[in-house]
Amino acid sequence: MDQSKRPRITILDKPTSRGKQEVSLSAFALLFSEMIQYSQNRVRSVAELQTKLSDFGFSVGSRLVDLLIVREKGNKREIKVLNILLFIKVQLWKALFGKEADKLEQASDDDKIYYIIEKEPVISTYISVPKDKGSLNCAAFAAGIVEAVLNFSNFPCKVTAHWHKGTTLMIKFDESVIARDKLVT
Amino acid sequence: MPVFSVYVVNKAGGLVFQYDHQKTSIELEKTFSYPLDLKLEPQTDYVTVVFGQQDGIKVGHVILSVNGKAVSGRKLQDGSDVMEFIENEKNYPLNIRFGRPKLSSNQKIMMASMFHSLYAISVQLSPESGSSGIQKLETDTFTLHCHQTVTGVKFIVISDPKQVGVDSLLARLYTIYSDYALKNPFYSLEMPIRTELFDSQVVTAIEQTEKVGSAI
Repeated sequence: MDQSKRPRITILDKPTSRGKQEVSLSAFALLFSEMIQYSQNRVRSVAELQTKLSDFGFSVGSRLVDLLIVREKGNKREIKVLNILLFIKVQLWKALFGKEADKLEQASDDDKIYYIIEKEPVISTYISVPKDKGSLNCAAFAAGIVEAVLNFSNFPCKVTAHWHKGTTLMIKFDESVIARDKLVT
Repeated sequence: MPVFSVYVVNKAGGLVFQYDHQKTSIELEKTFSYPLDLKLEPQTDYVTVVFGQQDGIKVGHVILSVNGKAVSGRKLQDGSDVMEFIENEKNYPLNIRFGRPKLSSNQKIMMASMFHSLYAISVQLSPESGSSGIQKLETDTFTLHCHQTVTGVKFIVISDPKQVGVDSLLARLYTIYSDYALKNPFYSLEMPIRTELFDSQVVTAIEQTEKVGSAI
């Protein structure tokens, strides 16, 4: 009996691939719409709704930051504010949305504040906010992701979403970060 | 403009969305001398033509203005009744403007439900079993196209008889509905659609269809 002893190569033996980096926009839009409706039933004001979306984003960002650093940056750690912001604008946005953020600006009056500006964020493509919730910006989800990435890279900050030139994420760093940055550069 | 209006009806027959791209205003002004050839009849909101069609003035048209002064309901601006004014020989010769009355939003809702019922009746009337309902209704002045989706939502487009490409417009409207209404967290199902993104996308789709042009 000459049974072939060739080991069968199953899917468990193959190395884990990076997989297709794409998810259907419709699938995400429906899931995101449901997340917003779920939060809406549990909050009492527009500001709370934005905070809840931000928290969702925070959970996503905290898991994403390690993965991205391993994949894109070869385990190198950023210590300068400008570099980590460029990483967010280019690499993070590309990994999440398939394109770069439109603009990265620094506030002229306060060096703790930076802005990431997008004319039409991908996550809000199908969402029209009704008039009675005028100030709600669903990019609060993206703000949460950015906040988590920055906080876990040791740049403590607060990120909020605003309606300004499209959608603007306002990043406000702590004093310690700016002071440390001045020492490094 | 070839595409006149769009109606979206939910599966219960209620009107969910309505958009008039082109206000069809059919109006005719004529000078009359006593006695008036047309037979007029006062109704609750208007004075309508009931008999005696002539020169483009058809049955169903209502009086819009007399001697250049707009008529509100059945009274002239000074409060006197229109019928009395017209029956008075001393007021002639008279200039009266007739036209088709604009539908109020309540009337539009009623029309939509009526069409919904007619659609269901037509499925029953059909000699073949398993047939779809009314897909196209053609008249001299307009064509009504209707597309019912698998979920029971009907998209109705009223357009010029010579306009081509309305089938693809209906398919595009369905895509726009599934994108900008169903993926919007602030839209509840079967309710009237009041989102700006949906409105603007519908207008864009209609304009693109009109650019395709009309058949000769």
